[in-house]
Amino acid sequence: MRWDDIKEGFRNFWQEFKSIKFGLFGLFLLFIFVIAVFINAYIVPFPEASKRWRDITYWEDNPVSAPPMWINYFSSMKRAPSSIISEYSLSEEKKGNLTLKKVVFEYKYLYDYPPIDIIFHCQIEGSPVIILSIERPDGKVVTLTKRAISKIDIRTLRISIGNDARAESYNFGIKFENPQQNRIERELIKPIQILFAEAKEGILVNPSFLKGTYKIIADIILPGLKDQVTDPSLFISGSVSGWLGTDSAKRDIWSGIIAGVKWALLIGLLTAFTSVSIGVIFGVVSAYLGGWQDSLMQRIFEIFVGVPLLPVLIVMSAIFRPNIWTMIIMMSCFFWVGPVKTVRSIGLQIKEETYIEAAKAFGASSSRIIFKHMIPLLIPYSFASMALYVPSAIIYEASISLLGLGDATIVTWGQILHDALRGGAVINGLWWWVIPPGLLIALMGMTFAFIGFAMDKILHPKLRTR
Amino acid sequence: MVENNLVMRVNNLKIQFFTSKGVVYAVDDVSFSLKKGETLGLVGESGCGKTTAVLGLMKNIPKPGKIISGSVEIDGKNILSLSETEMREKIRWTKISMVFQGAMNCLTPVYTIGKQMMETLQEHKEMTYLEARKKIINYLHLVGLSEDVIRRYPHELSGGMKQRVVIATALFLEPKIVICDEPTTALDVVVQAQIINLLKELKKKLSLSVIFITHDLATEAEVADRLMVMYAGKLVEIGLNQHIYGNSKFYHPYTRKLIQATPRLHEKVSELSFIPGIPPDLINLPAGCRFHPRCSEIIERCKKEEPPLIEVEKEHWIACWRIVNE
Amino acid sequence: MYWRYCLKRIIYGLVTFVILIFIFSALFNTTMEKTLRAQIEEEIRAETLKMDTRMSPEEITHFIAERRAFKQHLYHLDKPLWHRIVWRAINVLSLNFGKATIMKSSAGESDVWGIIAECLPRTILLFTTAICINIILGLWLGLKKAQKAGGLMDKTTSIGTMLVYGMPSWWLGMLVIMFFAYKLRLFPSGSLHSIPPPSGFAYYIDLLYHMTLPVLTLVAIGFWGSSYLIRNIVLSILQEDYIMATRTRGIPERKVLYGHAMRTAAPPIVTMALLSLLASVGGNIIFEGIFSWPGLGNLYWISIEQNDIPVLMGNLFVTTALYLAGLVILDLIYGFLDPRIKVGGRQ
Repeated sequence: MRWDDIKEGFRNFWQEFKSIKFGLFGLFLLFIFVIAVFINAYIVPFPEASKRWRDITYWEDNPVSAPPMWINYFSSMKRAPSSIISEYSLSEEKKGNLTLKKVVFEYKYLYDYPPIDIIFHCQIEGSPVIILSIERPDGKVVTLTKRAISKIDIRTLRISIGNDARAESYNFGIKFENPQQNRIERELIKPIQILFAEAKEGILVNPSFLKGTYKIIADIILPGLKDQVTDPSLFISGSVSGWLGTDSAKRDIWSGIIAGVKWALLIGLLTAFTSVSIGVIFGVVSAYLGGWQDSLMQRIFEIFVGVPLLPVLIVMSAIFRPNIWTMIIMMSCFFWVGPVKTVRSIGLQIKEETYIEAAKAFGASSSRIIFKHMIPLLIPYSFASMALYVPSAIIYEASISLLGLGDATIVTWGQILHDALRGGAVINGLWWWVIPPGLLIALMGMTFAFIGFAMDKILHPKLRTR
Repeated sequence: MVENNLVMRVNNLKIQFFTSKGVVYAVDDVSFSLKKGETLGLVGESGCGKTTAVLGLMKNIPKPGKIISGSVEIDGKNILSLSETEMREKIRWTKISMVFQGAMNCLTPVYTIGKQMMETLQEHKEMTYLEARKKIINYLHLVGLSEDVIRRYPHELSGGMKQRVVIATALFLEPKIVICDEPTTALDVVVQAQIINLLKELKKKLSLSVIFITHDLATEAEVADRLMVMYAGKLVEIGLNQHIYGNSKFYHPYTRKLIQATPRLHEKVSELSFIPGIPPDLINLPAGCRFHPRCSEIIERCKKEEPPLIEVEKEHWIACWRIVNE
Repeated sequence: MYWRYCLKRIIYGLVTFVILIFIFSALFNTTMEKTLRAQIEEEIRAETLKMDTRMSPEEITHFIAERRAFKQHLYHLDKPLWHRIVWRAINVLSLNFGKATIMKSSAGESDVWGIIAECLPRTILLFTTAICINIILGLWLGLKKAQKAGGLMDKTTSIGTMLVYGMPSWWLGMLVIMFFAYKLRLFPSGSLHSIPPPSGFAYYIDLLYHMTLPVLTLVAIGFWGSSYLIRNIVLSILQEDYIMATRTRGIPERKVLYGHAMRTAAPPIVTMALLSLLASVGGNIIFEGIFSWPGLGNLYWISIEQNDIPVLMGNLFVTTALYLAGLVILDLIYGFLDPRIKVGGRQ
């Protein structure tokens, strides 16, 4: 088989493949997946999702179990989405060694439902004093919290208004309530809701929300020259968040899903490639050798076939706690049995061809015959098989991860589903947590199914229908 | 007009296949007639349309093929105009039956021979089980098989035995016309001779009219009274046995070449003669006479117009421009 | 002929099973022994507590050591490695799986085999029902598709097959539960029956009610594949020469299709049905878990969660046995249906 023959073979194959519409569609989807892997960092708000999936500090600012942003299009009540406000206006005043800085963030609130939390971040040097307050559209200003930083070793400051301004918001709200009629416990109120509510009776129990531009003001007092506050930013932790919402551990699901693409592709393709390669070589060698070697190989094959795959994988994973690479190896160890029977029967047929006899007569070695004459004929079949094995591999890994036995250092869609199950997503109807990972497993499966079936159609013209 | 000794007349039969690669002109304007008691041979290369034509006689063309036009008259009626049900009940197997290539996979592998024969019999004739069984055994004996073939599955029989079964099945409804499609092709010469003798015997005994298809001219010479030669979906020559095999001064170049290509035992040849080129693609046919790219005796007209069948002597028709000129 | 074939297959199956059991025993030996030792310690501790507390510390220590040696000898832990593996394998083959660490069957026993035996019929019930419905629907649809191959129904259902090819059945189950059980509250979210289970005829109705969602989910995913495969099998048979010959003989289309074609298709279809049943063993484990269906699959979940190794092992052995039995039965049925194997070659 010369290089030209191979190229010719591919060209012919591609000619036929082009005519099958769904095959092309499958390739297109695959292309999109591959692109997604490469532009991963650019399309997600949390690019390090894969490495830091279990690091709670990475996800701190997100809301818990928030639905996706776009449900706002489908409901009459618009909910405030998560966003980052990094623009601010800054004014400074110096009084000797003392510096007074004023940082003002503008937040346009035009929604029917306020965010869950507002979080202030900044970098600190020395020991400044920071006072946060909020100016509402109706002009009322509420001082939220005063922080005097005394510890010299704090470098980053994080203030969560929802948690740290409880007393202040309560005190603000109580002014408008009739104490006789509405007795509310301070611990039960939601500070952000009060701050964003119309200043009238019922503010603590049944608020209606005030739309407009809110200003979050940070008054910073820098007592000395060594004190500094830089990089202030405001994170709005919305009641809807991200393209696919968040889970119960505050992780942005969209970031997780995209991070999972490369693992799915890796697991699927690597397992499929390895197992089909082993299987095809095994089948061809078995067919070629014939005799007792063939029988022996077939007996070995039968033993492997008798293994119920997932139970064994589960038990092995439960006991040995593998990582992703070990899992791929384990799966390949069992997947290879798939193509063997077909390959062997094709191999037996090829063996009877006269050109094989001729090659033997010329003194060609066995490996030469196998690899140069027999295997190239099986390449189309191999590719079709590989394509069809990828979804299986992905599903097996997802199943293992679902049981909690997967590799904890990476994010795969199966793991997301595991967390969903544990986190009560099914019971609580958190559909944005349950649907996307499974949908993507199905989508990737569909992609390879399209490609594989298209190849299959070319290889089995008998099943063609005109 | 139905002549008294004609059992079948085929007029201008056209069959085409509509594939994704184009329209295949499998059978193009074929006309002939079959006399009572005669063996009409049909020869041609593989893929020239022989089998398609005879399947068309029974309206048994598989998709994507269609019978475009033409008629097949039996007893004065055009059977192609009958509905599928009528075709199945009255024509197929009762008036025309077919002997397939025995080595062909033509018997369902999961039913016994007896069941398949019984099914065919009972489908067409009202019979009790015992009557049917008796008839089956009769015909099995007729073709030289013992009756325990009934219990056997097709894979248990040899090629020759299967061929005999197929013959028996084709005959036991006593049809007028029997089409034999390459009945001896895949068999070894000894069995071939047996089958041919059997067919000759049966034909005499049961007064059958036979269409005998083969690509083996030697066999055809032995069995056929009259012959038709087909090329690329068209009939190019029809004649009596002596016209084709004897030394008639009229001949079609293709037929002549076919006969020359058959090696003879008593002749010394240093080189086998063959027909150069390959059969035409039935989707993209050459203009003019279909044989002209491979013909060694062409004239200008051959490249432009298709020659019609012309009677050059009694019962001898040829489609060739060169003949017309002479 | 056929009997010889049967015997061969059954023997192969048994041999394979025995070899696999030995391999598993070897592979998981360390873990199982760890568990065993832990269990022994538990037992000794229990015994010590029940004893006379007037014994001196030396006597107690002596007693413990003695009991330990005794039990280790009992469980062959003092013998060389290969001996232990063989002994364990033989135990398994005689269905002696030992005791569960934590779990108990509903009868309160901690015998592993008892726990497993309880779960077995439930699994069989669920999946055989689903497979039967799958096959029936698959046959109906597959035949229709084969008859009008290339037609609209054929093309659209082929696309459907590819759509669900990569869809995990258990994920669809999660969606179905989320929607039908929690949102719409039409069906129960799982389990075998309500608590407390009703009696008499109502028990069966209740069982069916609980089976509805899982079976529907399984069928929704499964029947595409089976109809596609059946379509392919039937289609390739319809192109065979003998079908054309049968039609030429004047046999009506109905008999050609349902008689000749289907009968020839029976062996591969049955094979395919059983194979898909076996192949689904994997996905079913998760599936049962999602629906809290207390079968063998669910047992895997629970035993992993509770870290009950003996039950896990026992489950693995039983699953393997069932799987192999399935493969053997498959071969036997295929041989029975295909006369080329049943009756053998030329006479």
